[in-house]
Amino acid sequence: MTIALCLPVLAGVLLFVGARPLADRLPPATAVVLLTAAMLVTALATGFVLSVLALFVLGQVPLVARLGHWSAAVIGHDLPVPAAVGILAGTVACVLLAAALRRATLSGRDLVLAAVACRRLGPSAAGLVVVDDDLPDAYALPGLGGRVVVSTAMLRALPAAERRVLLAHEQAHLAHRHHIYVQLAGLAAAADPLLRPAERAVRSAVERWADEVAAAEVGDRELAARALARAGLARAGARRAGAPAAAALAATDVGVAARARALLAGPPPRRRVLAGALGALVLAVSAATLVTAVDTQHRFEAAEHAYHAAR
Amino acid sequence: MAVQGRRRGALEREVLACLAAAGRPLTVTEVQAELGNGLAYTTVMTALSRLHAKGALNREPAGRAYAYTPAADPETLGASVTARRMTRLLESGEDRAGVLARFVADLTPEDERLLADLLADARRGEGA
Repeated sequence: MTIALCLPVLAGVLLFVGARPLADRLPPATAVVLLTAAMLVTALATGFVLSVLALFVLGQVPLVARLGHWSAAVIGHDLPVPAAVGILAGTVACVLLAAALRRATLSGRDLVLAAVACRRLGPSAAGLVVVDDDLPDAYALPGLGGRVVVSTAMLRALPAAERRVLLAHEQAHLAHRHHIYVQLAGLAAAADPLLRPAERAVRSAVERWADEVAAAEVGDRELAARALARAGLARAGARRAGAPAAAALAATDVGVAARARALLAGPPPRRRVLAGALGALVLAVSAATLVTAVDTQHRFEAAEHAYHAAR
Repeated sequence: MAVQGRRRGALEREVLACLAAAGRPLTVTEVQAELGNGLAYTTVMTALSRLHAKGALNREPAGRAYAYTPAADPETLGASVTARRMTRLLESGEDRAGVLARFVADLTPEDERLLADLLADARRGEGA
């Protein structure tokens, strides 16, 4: 049982160290899906283990044991952790739950705001909204089918072939619902701070995923890399010329230059073994959580039997 | 070849982007030339007609053909203002969930140098 209790935290540590290298090596789409799944399972399992540890301590409180009709002695018999750890675990679980709820509220609010924005934009032709602006900018706005918003300065900065890369990139964000992965990863990282580097890795991998989709659509990786370079430089140039600074979006690990380099390096290898290992981690943590759940249930059942036998 | 792989929505977005970038009315032939990539005249014309029918484009006679511009009616301008306001809102403050996915973020000086080199290499490659 001790191993089962430790595995979720161990998985958190593994992801803390390994998320970035994994995201760099796996094909971006695989990295996003598997990392997000691993993060969600790890965060849930960690919260569950912490709650169970707290429950063991709580179950030994005489009043609680009487109300629950179980034997406090059997609950407390041969526990894998001392009581102090259980109290600490309960406190941490409450703090993390609060953080997760707060993050879920923020995500919900911003997703609703984005959907409202899409609605107000009306039935814009083919989902493209051109904004008259001197700062080269382009982004995907999720919700109700989503919109691609591009500034006139960005459109003018790129030749037609590279504009096609940009439009395909942003459309890929919407078509593959990248905002869902990013929000789920953010939620998991709020619930388990060990997962913060993994959240950044997911954000970066989502950009790389859209780059790969765009490169495949235009059938030219170098063209896609040039589009990134030209768009990035145009934006930097406008900034120097005094274009008003928009607030920075959430940081990612992988800069524009690294994304361009990845495109020029050729199609990413599939890395089945690495993907399999990450999948195995998801399964192992799930299994460990199941073991913990069953063990906990058995302990409380035994305690109830002992309580009734003693009467 | 590329034409078949290109979905209708994608082509319409490209056409719209092309006209918005041009800043002057373009005929079907001009849009076709600008987009390049082996697109057939009729394909481009169909996309322009569809966008016109949706009210996204205005057109005016230019010789024997039509020249198209993005529709700058009050509704479109309103959309532009809405888009900007909502984006500011979604980007402002510490407590944002980060639902916007931007094509390129701001560059570090190092990234700027690397990307400038990349474009210079590409130009040299074309010149050779």
